Amino acid sequence: MSKFLKLAGVSVLSVSLMAACGGDESSDAATNGGNNNNEDNSNSDTTEETIGDGDIELVFWEFGNTGYDKLIEEYVADNPHVSINLQNSDMNDMHDNLFTSISAGTGAPDITMIEEAQIERYRNAEDAFTNLYDHGASDVEGEFLEWVWKNGENAEGNFLFGLPTDIGPTVMFYRTDVFEEAGFDSSPEAVSELVKTWDDFESVAKEIYEATGKQMTDAGELVYNARRDQSTEQYFSPDGELIIEEHNQIKDAYEYTSSLLNEGLVGDIPLWTPEWFAGMGDGTYATMLAPAWMQGVIKDNEPEEGVWSITTMPEGAGNWGGSYLAVPAESENPEEAYKFIEWLTAPEQQLKAFQGYGLFPSAPAVYDMPEFKEYEDEYFGGIATAQVFSEAAQAVEPVFKGSLYYPVDDEVKQAIDDVAGGAEPQGAWEEAIERIKRIIER
Amino acid sequence: MEKPKKTRRMSEKKSTALSAYVFISPFFILFAVFGLFPMIFSFYLSFFRWDGLAPMEFTGWRNFQFIFSDPVFYSSIKNTFLIGIMGTAPQIVAALFLAFALNSQLIRFRNTFRTMVFLPYITSIVAVAIIFGVVFNNQPFGFANYFLSLFDISPIRWNAEYWPVKIAIATMVFWRWVGYNTIIFLAGMQSIPKELYEAAKIDGATVFQQIRLITIPMLKPIIMFVVFTATIGSFQLFTEPLIFLGRGLREEGITIVAYLWRDAFIYNSFGTASAAAIVLFFIIITLTAVNLLITNRIGRSKNLG
Repeated sequence: MSKFLKLAGVSVLSVSLMAACGGDESSDAATNGGNNNNEDNSNSDTTEETIGDGDIELVFWEFGNTGYDKLIEEYVADNPHVSINLQNSDMNDMHDNLFTSISAGTGAPDITMIEEAQIERYRNAEDAFTNLYDHGASDVEGEFLEWVWKNGENAEGNFLFGLPTDIGPTVMFYRTDVFEEAGFDSSPEAVSELVKTWDDFESVAKEIYEATGKQMTDAGELVYNARRDQSTEQYFSPDGELIIEEHNQIKDAYEYTSSLLNEGLVGDIPLWTPEWFAGMGDGTYATMLAPAWMQGVIKDNEPEEGVWSITTMPEGAGNWGGSYLAVPAESENPEEAYKFIEWLTAPEQQLKAFQGYGLFPSAPAVYDMPEFKEYEDEYFGGIATAQVFSEAAQAVEPVFKGSLYYPVDDEVKQAIDDVAGGAEPQGAWEEAIERIKRIIER
Repeated sequence: MEKPKKTRRMSEKKSTALSAYVFISPFFILFAVFGLFPMIFSFYLSFFRWDGLAPMEFTGWRNFQFIFSDPVFYSSIKNTFLIGIMGTAPQIVAALFLAFALNSQLIRFRNTFRTMVFLPYITSIVAVAIIFGVVFNNQPFGFANYFLSLFDISPIRWNAEYWPVKIAIATMVFWRWVGYNTIIFLAGMQSIPKELYEAAKIDGATVFQQIRLITIPMLKPIIMFVVFTATIGSFQLFTEPLIFLGRGLREEGITIVAYLWRDAFIYNSFGTASAAAIVLFFIIITLTAVNLLITNRIGRSKNLG
């Protein structure tokens, strides 16, 4: 009988293994490319690699192309008692797995990367993470930009979820040829002076449209994002109340975007669509209000050097993308895990990550390092691009987001899309507010 | 003390029975873990408010009250029915004709065509999304809009307008499943004796008469099977709207499964998602009952093999 049991046991095991291996194919990379700060997230295979042979093994989940394996090799060389098991997977899959393991209370790694937008999803789960302040994170607080740090904290500021790695400060990419065609000086300084405020943005848009017939920018979405990110209050107050109707900053951003759309100055070309990529190369639109990591996308779609250039955005900057490193509460070696992430996010290592994979540093100390400062990009007309981005990074306003930030944001985006399709702005806004209230009621 | 002897004999019998159970257990174990437990847990969860992380909070019928007062939930049911009918009905008719054509002796390279007609079914859904994203593009130069412009129809916003969204998704469903159903019909048709067609030909029946009077009646059980699997399948419609509309899932194109998925994994509201799943469960149960009733009646009234 035991033979039968063994056989049966083996067959049960193999069947369940087979079932466990059947992955979920429906990861919608196309619709979510925007949340990734790395240029290539199409690879959904999970890779795993153990670096070092120390007794204390730390499991580290990451996504995208970070180049951390090289840095880990350096770390384990100096800390031979530690070995790090680096597991790389698709961004959405990694966050879903993290959510599931935290929800189940088992299976989380020692260290996990969390994307800046996704961190909101875990906001209510302080129990599931190690408070990095307990391990001395306040000592390194001064090394990071204030708004990035704040975003990794809870609303009260006494719990730190993660240490910031990279960020995505937003700037204005623009096509020099379109600006020249419209009779403007196309140097970054001149354009920055020309488009200093959002009113300038609108009037320049009109002039460009009259002179060239081209639209100012790709779609309402990025204009709205830019204005939204410059608001000091957005959708939620720190105690979790919906404040979208209590102040005018979001409504103003929405109305500004709607009026540009109604005047036909902004295109109706949704992000990540084939025509959006093609538009970068064809010059269908004059500017793009996008983060530092968009450089790679632009370079892929417009091979010619010197056509696109970079300058600061009107009235400030915003942030789109970037990640944090957190230590789930389950970790048996939180002390070692913290030591490692503190090392990995230190300015010297952030510089290396920037040089290797273009991860834009969240530690301002890097901005003063000569290797960073002198980094010039021939593609964007030989200007010191890193400097433009670092100026933008320092201009970002800290703002509280809240765990339902992105669902709410999606509804506003839908209203903007409705306006682009010819809906009446006030009506579309009211409908969006209705939908938002229903989300919160759930 | 004869007992040991007796138990040994019993246990031999038992062990045969047990080994049989052990051999069929993989399915039951997997079904219990991945099927039964989640189902029962959904029922349980639908009475709680839970964000997946914080402790669950019992709320009674609140989740059901919420979804039944949410206009988007009704839209999702309506959309599911409409897209289901728009995607399924023409598909079955087309599959029938395709299968008839592939079954005909007049067509050359039949195996090549059979493979080709089945290809959409095994195509990666992401590739499907990209292709249909180009076809149903909002821009005037999008394939569908360009085609319509030849008839002086102004560009349509395929992912936002009421009917266009449904047409686009239904087309995707049609394209993806028509080959699968064709193959099933084809298998059914091949079991129809050739003599019937030969006799009909001798009597001078046209192709359409052959289809109407021989193929369709002989194929009735298969048609029933396809109709019901397709209807139930259309209630689980999820990937197509998701990839076509993105994670925002506009009200114009959201389906029930997409609605509950969004509740659970975007809004982190597992309670209302489970409540929606329960409602879907009862809808499908009802339809399956209707299905059984109709098939039983057909089975009784005629001798079909």
